Amino acid sequence: MWRLTLRSTLARRARLALTLLAVVLGVTFATGGLVLTDTSTRLLDDQFRTATAGVDLTVRDAVAFDSAMGVEVTRDPLPADLSARIAAVSGVADARPAVRGQGLLEVAGKPVVPSGASLLASWLPAPMGSFNIRRGRPPAADDEVVLDEDTARGQHVRLGDTVTVRATENARLRVVGLAGFGDRGGLPNSTVALVTLPSAQRLLRLGAGVSEVAVVAAPGVAPEQLRDRITAAVGADYEVSASRDIAAAGAAAARDQISWLQLVLLALAGAALLVGAFLIANTFAIVVTQRTRELALLRAAGATGGQVLRSVLGEALLVGLTASAAGLVLGVAAATGIRNLASAFGVPLPEGELVLTARTVLVAFAIGVLVTVGSAVGPARRAAAVAPVAALREAAAARTGRVRVVAGALAAATGLAATVAVLAADAPVPLLGLAALGAVGGLALLGPALTPTLVRLVGRPLAAAGVTGQLATDSAARTPRRTAATALALALGLALISFMAVLGSSVNSSVRQSYREVITADHMVESARNEMLGGLNPVVYEQVSRLPEVAVASRLRYGHWRDGAMTQALTGVDPATLARVTNLHFTAGNLAALNGGGIVLAEHVARDRGLSVGDELPMTFSRTGTQRLTVVGLLRNGDARALSTDYLISLDTFARNYSEEMDASVLIRTDGGTDRAAAERAIRAALADTPTAELRDQAAAVASRTQMIDQVLGLVTVLLMLAVLIALLGITNTLALSITERTAEIGLLRAVGMTRRQLGWMIRAEAVLVAALASVLGIVLGVGFAAATVRALGRDAPTVLAVPTGRLLVVLAVALAAGLLAGLLPARRAARLDVLAAIGTL
Amino acid sequence: MPTSTVNQTRPTSTAAAVQARDVVRTYGRGDATVRALAGATVSLPAGRFTAIMGPSGSGKSTLMHALAGLDTIDAGQILLGDTDLGQLTERQRTLLRRDRIGFVFQSFNLVPTLTARENILLPLTLAGCRPDPERLDRLIATLGLAERLRHRPTELSGGQQQRVAVARALITQPEIVFADEPTGNLDSQAAEALLGFLRQAVDEFGQTIVMVTHDPHAAAYADRVVFLADGRIDGELDAPTAPAILSRMARLAAPVTTGAN
Repeated sequence: MWRLTLRSTLARRARLALTLLAVVLGVTFATGGLVLTDTSTRLLDDQFRTATAGVDLTVRDAVAFDSAMGVEVTRDPLPADLSARIAAVSGVADARPAVRGQGLLEVAGKPVVPSGASLLASWLPAPMGSFNIRRGRPPAADDEVVLDEDTARGQHVRLGDTVTVRATENARLRVVGLAGFGDRGGLPNSTVALVTLPSAQRLLRLGAGVSEVAVVAAPGVAPEQLRDRITAAVGADYEVSASRDIAAAGAAAARDQISWLQLVLLALAGAALLVGAFLIANTFAIVVTQRTRELALLRAAGATGGQVLRSVLGEALLVGLTASAAGLVLGVAAATGIRNLASAFGVPLPEGELVLTARTVLVAFAIGVLVTVGSAVGPARRAAAVAPVAALREAAAARTGRVRVVAGALAAATGLAATVAVLAADAPVPLLGLAALGAVGGLALLGPALTPTLVRLVGRPLAAAGVTGQLATDSAARTPRRTAATALALALGLALISFMAVLGSSVNSSVRQSYREVITADHMVESARNEMLGGLNPVVYEQVSRLPEVAVASRLRYGHWRDGAMTQALTGVDPATLARVTNLHFTAGNLAALNGGGIVLAEHVARDRGLSVGDELPMTFSRTGTQRLTVVGLLRNGDARALSTDYLISLDTFARNYSEEMDASVLIRTDGGTDRAAAERAIRAALADTPTAELRDQAAAVASRTQMIDQVLGLVTVLLMLAVLIALLGITNTLALSITERTAEIGLLRAVGMTRRQLGWMIRAEAVLVAALASVLGIVLGVGFAAATVRALGRDAPTVLAVPTGRLLVVLAVALAAGLLAGLLPARRAARLDVLAAIGTL
Repeated sequence: MPTSTVNQTRPTSTAAAVQARDVVRTYGRGDATVRALAGATVSLPAGRFTAIMGPSGSGKSTLMHALAGLDTIDAGQILLGDTDLGQLTERQRTLLRRDRIGFVFQSFNLVPTLTARENILLPLTLAGCRPDPERLDRLIATLGLAERLRHRPTELSGGQQQRVAVARALITQPEIVFADEPTGNLDSQAAEALLGFLRQAVDEFGQTIVMVTHDPHAAAYADRVVFLADGRIDGELDAPTAPAILSRMARLAAPVTTGAN
C-alpha cells in the first residue's frame, strides 16, 4: 500500500505542486520569523556579554527597576571619590570609573543618525573596556576621540580627521584611533565615540561624577563574596551587580524592543498556514473526488477502508514533509529579506550570521506536517467511505450536511453575540477576537450552503454578459464546497488587510482630530529620531524660550513607571505654560493643582481604576521607589490622547523622581506680532546646534504621530500580501483541478462551437468571480470588525470610524486583477485541450 | 405533428453534403504509427440519412471526426459543401462547427449546469444569436420535450437527454448532423424512439444526418450504409435492411476478402 501511495503522489505531483507551495510559504514565514529572532537574540546576547567580559562587578546608583519598555533607565551619577573607596575594599584587584551617555556624531557638518544608539563613553583599556583599538591609539588628550571602525568606514572618516560630538555640551574632537568590539567592527546600528574620562564628564555635564565603577576581583576572590563586601563598604544607595547579570538584563531589554516583530511574523505565519490549510483540504477533497473510481476499484480489489484512509493521509504526509523541508530552506533565506524589509519600514534589527536552531527545524516540520495531514483528514475519511460499487456509479453531487449548517449557524451566532456584548454591554474588547473566530468558523462551515446564492448574486453582471459568463457562474455555484473554501482563503487575507486599513485610518484620523482640537500651539520642536523618551536635548527649550519671536514655550517630558508588573508611561508638564499652548478640558480638578505634586489622570484610566480626585495612586519610580501621588484632576479622554498620555505630573514632580534630562517635545506659540516665516527662521537658527531637533508645524506634528501607525500598517500589509498570494495560488490550483474534472464538458462545449477565446474567457471569469466573492466577504468582514473595534476603542478615547474608501477600492481592484491573473494559466490549459481527447475522456 | 414541407434552400438530394478525397490520418510516430484512415474517399449525399459502419479500429469514428472538422487530416481533402476544411484555421473550424454542423454523441451530450432549454440553445447563445421561436417550438414538440425544458440533465432520463442533444444539434439548421453511436447508452425502446426522430428529421425537414454505429438494427434506419475497413471505404449499401447489413459486416470481419470498391 505504501508503494502505491508513493506512486500515486508522484503521479499527481503537478496537481499537488501548488498545494505544496501554500504549505511552503507558511513554513517559510514561521521559519523566517524564528531564525530572525534567534539571530537577533544571539547577536544581542553576544554583544552584551562582550561588553562586560573583562569586568566582574559593576557598581551603579541603585534603582527600583533598570529598564522599561526596552529602554534602560538613567541613573544618577556616582560621586567622584566612590571608585577610590571601592578600590580600597580588600579583594578588589582593580576599580575604574566609567562614563556612558548619548553623543551624536557629526562628520563634515552633517549629523550621523544611526537607527540605533549614538553611544558616547569614556575610554577604558582592555580587558576592562570592551572596545579594542584596531588602528591608531586610544584617546589620551581631552580633544581626542576614538570611533568604531564600522562608522568610520561608513562615513569615510580617517585618522587625523576632526569630528563633532554633540551631547549636553558640544566639542570638536580629533580622531586618533579606530576601535572594534569583540571581533566586530562596532555595535550594530550604532555609532560609538570613545573619549577620555574628563572629556566625557564635560560633554555630558556630569562635573566630577561618573556613570559606573567597573570592578575586577583579585585572583581567588569569588565575585559573589566581593559583591557583599563592596555593598557593605559603599552602602545601600549603590547597587553592586555581577556583570553577567547586567549583560543578561541588557540583552533582555533589547530583545523586548524587537519581540513584537516575532509576534507579528508568527501571527502572519499563522494566517498563511490557515489559508494554506483551506487550500490543502480543498486540493485533497478534489483529488479524492476525482479518484473515486480508482479508490472504489481498490476497495473492490480488497483494500480496507482503513488502508484507503492511510493511503490518502500518507500522501498528505509526503506533501507535508516535502513542503516543510522546502519551507525551512526558504525561511532561512527569507530571514535576511525580512530583516531588510523591517529596516526599510523603520524597524532596525542587528545584522550577523543567521542562527538555525534544532527547535526551528522541529517547529518547521511539526507545523508543515500537522497542517497538511490535519487538513487532509476530512477528505481522507470521505475517501475511506467510498463504497466498492461507486466504481460503477456516477458520483452524486455532495450536499451540505445538516450538522454542518447547524454548527456553522451556532459559530456565527457566537461571533455575533460576542460582538454585541462588546458594543452594547461594555464587555472587554479582546472578546472581539472571539467574535472574529466565530465569524470565520461560521463562514467556513456555512460557506458551502451560502455559496450558490452568493455566487449567483455576485456573478449577476457576469451572467448577464452572456452564456460564457453564465457557465462560469454556474460552474462556481456547482461545487459550493470547493468554491467556498477557495474564496474563504482569499477572503481571510483580504479581511485582515481591510481590517488593518480601516482601523489604521480611523485611529489616525481620530488622533489628527483631537490633536487639532486640543493643541493650540502653532509649532513644536521634537527629535527627528522618535526616541522612546523623546530624546530632545534640554538646551533646545532654553534657547527657544529665550527668543523674542516666541510668546510661549512649554516643554513635555516622558517617563516610565511601574504599576505592579506593568510598565506605564507618564508625561511631565509645566502647568504654568501648558495652558497657554493647549485647550485642555478637565472633568474634575484643574491643571494648576499639579503644582502640589499630584497627578492628573485621563478619564478612562480613573474609571478603570475606580479613582476620583483626592484618591491616591501608588506608582513605582526607578529612582525613588514607590510613591503615592494624589489625584488632582481628571482630563477628557481625547485631550489625553492629543498629549499622548494618560498620566500627567508637573515637571517639578518629574525632576524629583527621574534623572532623565531629556525633553519629549517643546510646544511653541509664536508672538502674534511676528511674521510666521520670520519666527520659523529664528527658531531654526536657535536649533542649529542640535541637529536632531526638528521644527514642526501642526500638520507635521500630526504626521509624525500618525507615521508610526502607517509604518506598522505598511509592514503588516506587505507581509499579509503573501497570505493573499497563497490564496490566489489556491484559485489557480482549484481551477486547474476542476478543469481536469470538467474535461469532457469542455470538450463538448468546444465541439458544439465554443471558441478557444470564449472558453478562456469563461475560465478567467470563474477565477474573477471567486476573487470577487472573496473580496466582498473579506472587505465586509474586515470593515465590520474594524467598525466594532473602533466602537470599542471609543470608550477610552473618542475614535471615529474612518473608512479609507480609496484604499479599499484599490484592495478590491488588486484582488480582482489578481483573480484574473490566477485564472490565466488554467484558462490557457483549458483552451489548449484537444477537443477530441477531451470528448474521449469518458 | 407539424406538416411542413422540405426547406426550399436545401440542396437537392443528389448533391453531396460532404466529401472526403483520399483522406489519410495517422496517429503516433515510428513503430507505434497507426493509420486510422488510409486513403478514404466517400461522398455523403445531402438530405439523406447515412450510416457509417465498420469493425472496431476500422476508422469510422476518425472519419466522422475528420468530416466534422473536429480533427485535422494528414493528407487528402475534405469538402463541406464548397468549404475545404483543410484551408481553415482552428478558430474557423470552431465557428464552422458552431454554425454549420450539429453533433450528437454517445454520452455526455449536455452541459450539466444548464437546463434542457439552455442546452438546446447553447450553439445559438455561443454565437450570440436569437433562436427562431417557431423552429424551437416545433423541435420541442416533435421531440416531446415540452414538459422537460426547465430540468437539468441529471433530472432527465437517458433517452430524454439524447433527445435534448438532438434538439441542440438541429436548432441551428445545420447543413449536416453527425451522430456518434447516439443509441449506444440507451435501452432498446429509447433507441427506437431516437432513431425514429432522426429518420423523421430527414424525411420532414430534409436534414442531412451522418451516423456512426456498430448496431445493424440502428443502421437499418438509414438511407444508405457506408462500410469502412482498415481505414478505407469498403462498399456501400442503399436501402439497407438489418439482415443485409449483418451479412455484409460478417464479410468485413473476416480479414481475407477485402472488397475493392
